[in-house]
Amino acid sequence: MIEIRGLFKSFGVSPVLKGLDLSIRDGETLVIIGRSGCGKSVLLKHIMGLLEPDQGQVLIDDVDIFSLDDRQLEGFRLRLGMLFQGAALFDSLSVEENVGFSLYEHTRLPIPVIRKKVAEKLDLVNLSGIEDLMPSELSGGMKKRVGLARAICNEPKIILYDEPTTGLDPITADAINDLILRMQEKLKVTSVVVTHDMTSAYKVANRIAMLYGGRIVGIGTPEEIRQTNNPIIKQFVTGSAEGPITDKHK
Amino acid sequence: MEKVNFKTLKRLISVKRWLQAIGHQSIVLATNAGGISYLFVDTVRTFAKTRLRWKSTMDQMMKMSVTSLPLVFLTALFTGMVLTLQSAYQLRLFAAEQFTSDLVALSMTRELGPVLTAMVVAGRVGASIAAELGTMKVTEQIDALKASAVDPVRYLVVPRFVAGVIGLFVLTIYADCIGIFGGYVIAVFKLGISSHQYIKRSIDVLMIKDVITGLIKAFFFGGIIATVGCYFGFKAQGGAEGVGRATTIAVVTALVMIIASDALFTAIFYFF
Repeated sequence: MIEIRGLFKSFGVSPVLKGLDLSIRDGETLVIIGRSGCGKSVLLKHIMGLLEPDQGQVLIDDVDIFSLDDRQLEGFRLRLGMLFQGAALFDSLSVEENVGFSLYEHTRLPIPVIRKKVAEKLDLVNLSGIEDLMPSELSGGMKKRVGLARAICNEPKIILYDEPTTGLDPITADAINDLILRMQEKLKVTSVVVTHDMTSAYKVANRIAMLYGGRIVGIGTPEEIRQTNNPIIKQFVTGSAEGPITDKHK
Repeated sequence: MEKVNFKTLKRLISVKRWLQAIGHQSIVLATNAGGISYLFVDTVRTFAKTRLRWKSTMDQMMKMSVTSLPLVFLTALFTGMVLTLQSAYQLRLFAAEQFTSDLVALSMTRELGPVLTAMVVAGRVGASIAAELGTMKVTEQIDALKASAVDPVRYLVVPRFVAGVIGLFVLTIYADCIGIFGGYVIAVFKLGISSHQYIKRSIDVLMIKDVITGLIKAFFFGGIIATVGCYFGFKAQGGAEGVGRATTIAVVTALVMIIASDALFTAIFYFF
């Protein structure tokens, strides 16, 4: 279980998270929605321990990750996998080296065993046989899928997805959504997806949380979010230009 | 109450802006000095504590040193030639042209060999390190490394640091030899100094101390280039423009630090 308590984070003089509280249950897929720049990726990076909060806690299985020293945190990160917004593949390494990166770095498994695991993960994301290609030879959708294969190669308990469908055509985006569902079904992982793509949110979520003004302003099942009376959530999910979100900036 | 006229007010605002700019630049300078020192200590500590990634270090050595050979060759050769001509021009006034070889050998090994090599490598390699790591930073590859529980200092900085230190050390020995050879070409074929005399005087005048002081400088310059390049690469933000800015700052900072530390080392070696 992931428990976020009273998270505050500012960059310079601009506060991004203002006392955010959120609980994520084991095995669920929670989608965090919100406008661009509202702090969704910042929240995800706090869960991963890539950013330190000004105040607050992130507890994963009752362990406050910010109370760990560097070495313990590194060990802890192996229990998580993350798909970055632009996939963040290492461009000096081949697809095989990218996907098996954690295994090459942290295990003493023989190379043929690692290669077999890499091939299995690539097969899981429908990309068999591209082990020798370099990231520069891949399309945007392929990069995301290779990024996903890398995130799951270590068989993590939690997978974090940062804007998994952004910049992809609708068909490729839907293929990624199917993969997220398949990961939950096959690997029984807890997933946290950050997106502003509502089609994707409705498809993959068990619950949806809306981040606005540095806090979670509403959380519920996709159906509850669809029928909400909260004007902020309503404006966002319907994609309306008029409403409390835009009025505030006028 | 005394009235403040518009001109005085404008001047006061302008002074305030000046002071703000000086204050801001001082903070930036102190932050960068602290950050570079911290990264240096972290790099040395990580190097001492963990196993070196040999393959990556050799790759960096190839990229940083071997590919710099032609540029270092040309720089050292022409510097040796020019130094010989300029020295002979002055020494001729005292009928002391035979001392040209002494001057070239000492200048190359103690000063010009390490400094010029460091400058060439800072421009070429320091920029490339900052650009490469800066691109990795803005495309979240550094975050991806951390997410894979890999320390970026161990994975990226230590191999570049070791390659920089050893590479510059070797390149400086090479530049010293080429510079002296450049001087030899001009002295023997243009100034009429005998080949035997030039070689003998060069060997006689050089003491182990002269060569070693130059190489100690090279050792530190290599560390400066790698650390500064990595530091500004890690600090890059905001896409291509940010990477460009990081690259420029990395080169300028490395050059300034090389010149400043050269003055410091020269003073230390002079007095002790």
